[in-house]
Amino acid sequence: MTAQQQKAARPHVDVRATRPLSPHLQIYRPQLTSVLSFSHRLSGIVLGLCALVLVALLIAAASGPRSYNALHAFIQSWPGQILLFAGTFAFFLHLCGGIRHLFWDTGRGFELRTIYASGWTVVAVSVTLTAIAWIVRSMLSR
Amino acid sequence: MERQRLRSPLGRAAGLGSAKEGVGHWWLERVTAVALVPLTLWLAASLIMLSDSDYASFIAWLKSPFVALSMLLLLIALFTHLALGLQVVIEDYVHSGAMVPLLVAMRFACVALAVAGTLATLRIFFGD
Amino acid sequence: MSTNCTVPGDRQQFILRCKASPLTGSIGRAVIIRSSDQVPRSTLLNRFPVPRNLGVAAGSRIERGRTWPAPAGAKRVKTFEIYRYDPDHGKNPRLDSFEVDLDDCGPMVLDVLIWIKNKVDPTLTFRRSCREGICGSCAMNIDGTNWLACTRFVSETRKRATVYPLNNMRIIKDLVPDLTHVFAQYHLIEPWLKSSAPAPDRERLQSPEERRRIDGNWECILCFCCTSGCPSHWWNADRFLGPAVLLQAWRWLMDSRDEATGERLDQLEDPFRLYRCHTILNCTRTCPRGLNPGQAIAGIKKMLIERKSL
Repeated sequence: MTAQQQKAARPHVDVRATRPLSPHLQIYRPQLTSVLSFSHRLSGIVLGLCALVLVALLIAAASGPRSYNALHAFIQSWPGQILLFAGTFAFFLHLCGGIRHLFWDTGRGFELRTIYASGWTVVAVSVTLTAIAWIVRSMLSR
Repeated sequence: MERQRLRSPLGRAAGLGSAKEGVGHWWLERVTAVALVPLTLWLAASLIMLSDSDYASFIAWLKSPFVALSMLLLLIALFTHLALGLQVVIEDYVHSGAMVPLLVAMRFACVALAVAGTLATLRIFFGD
Repeated sequence: MSTNCTVPGDRQQFILRCKASPLTGSIGRAVIIRSSDQVPRSTLLNRFPVPRNLGVAAGSRIERGRTWPAPAGAKRVKTFEIYRYDPDHGKNPRLDSFEVDLDDCGPMVLDVLIWIKNKVDPTLTFRRSCREGICGSCAMNIDGTNWLACTRFVSETRKRATVYPLNNMRIIKDLVPDLTHVFAQYHLIEPWLKSSAPAPDRERLQSPEERRRIDGNWECILCFCCTSGCPSHWWNADRFLGPAVLLQAWRWLMDSRDEATGERLDQLEDPFRLYRCHTILNCTRTCPRGLNPGQAIAGIKKMLIERKSL
């Protein structure tokens, strides 16, 4: 049956709802704009988990040396260090991205050239700060 | 499945009308973000300095009034910002009946974590 | 050398843009996008690494279509993969491959579509009118980003170019989306002059400075490239107004002759209508007219703050 015949047979049915939906996420090209925005969201969620770990650390410290040392030992272990590394990168990415967002909230920085320049700056600064943080940490532990 | 849609396109786009609110959420998220910039940098720097410290030095660090104050302010700002951000994420992706219970549960969790962190900090600060 | 004359979204004058920028090298041009008519060059990632049918309803799944070979004797042949959907046969949408003789058709993607319709498959359906980038009819997704087919050079497309209709729209046929809902959202913001004061005896006056405030906003051709490229609109099309409509809302907020600014702001202040915008900025990247919906939406949010006690 054609769409018109369908409509004539059941006038209360909205033929619009029977049409297919064109693809979006499945075919849209990833660009700095969308990728950085999604990274900002993802890093925020990761930092939410880090907040959980922070509270766990405080509770462990308040509960006495045994629980603190157990949590500390996990953080020092290699899975803990990998999570810590991911957490620091997420932190700097979200921090730099957040400052970029605050700039936008003042109404500035919306020309395409500035959007792209600030976007790449956020990536570069986040990577650099993560590296610096870990270098400083490894220097301190010597 | 037949879908009865007799409402006009404009009526459907209008929905239940404008909620006439939303600025408060937006503003609070920015205020907590601005507060979190120095607070989280302070926390990150402190944790790097403390990374190999034992239990005693961690407790001694938290017994400083400045540190305890900063930690409490951080917890308040952090969990407020987290709750606002996660609210937006849930509203974006969850549209079924699960959205409201999820929002409430998330809010409760953030409050509980903030209070737990505060209690732990105060216990260390006031304890012996 | 080809030039592109577009109206930037920020309040600069018309500028002529030369393809070969003397200012930066080729890497700078690829990495820092200066205007929306710059085609993405990187071939690193053409689509998000998600399953092709992620979240796609059964009736919307795209199947493999047929291949239409180039005519005999064609020297410069290029393949175009085009989304097809026929409502009269009730089958799923499919992706047809057309081998196009580039020596026989014009330089733009719209010329290719017209060539295919004339010489290969007359059932190929698409909207078109002005063929010069001003009417907005031929807006579609070319090589993963939204643009007007009549102003996209074939030479700028990928080796196997892909042509899809505007994203997240109900498809009437082939490349023709149903724009009823987005136009209803446009109707919702009441895009006309509203004044409660009695009409003046003469025309409503506006200084040049006041008139400049709607520059970068009135030029919108309602092609909906931006709205259909906005991820927030993908997830919340029913309630989020989208960049095109919000740009027009800003146009009326900025018009000094309009007297209903407060009411307009009341209607916009909604966690879904306005605040689903998270400044993703796909809109500004994709606007074929070089406009800046992202900036306009930031302006609306600033205006809402201004009238509040903080």
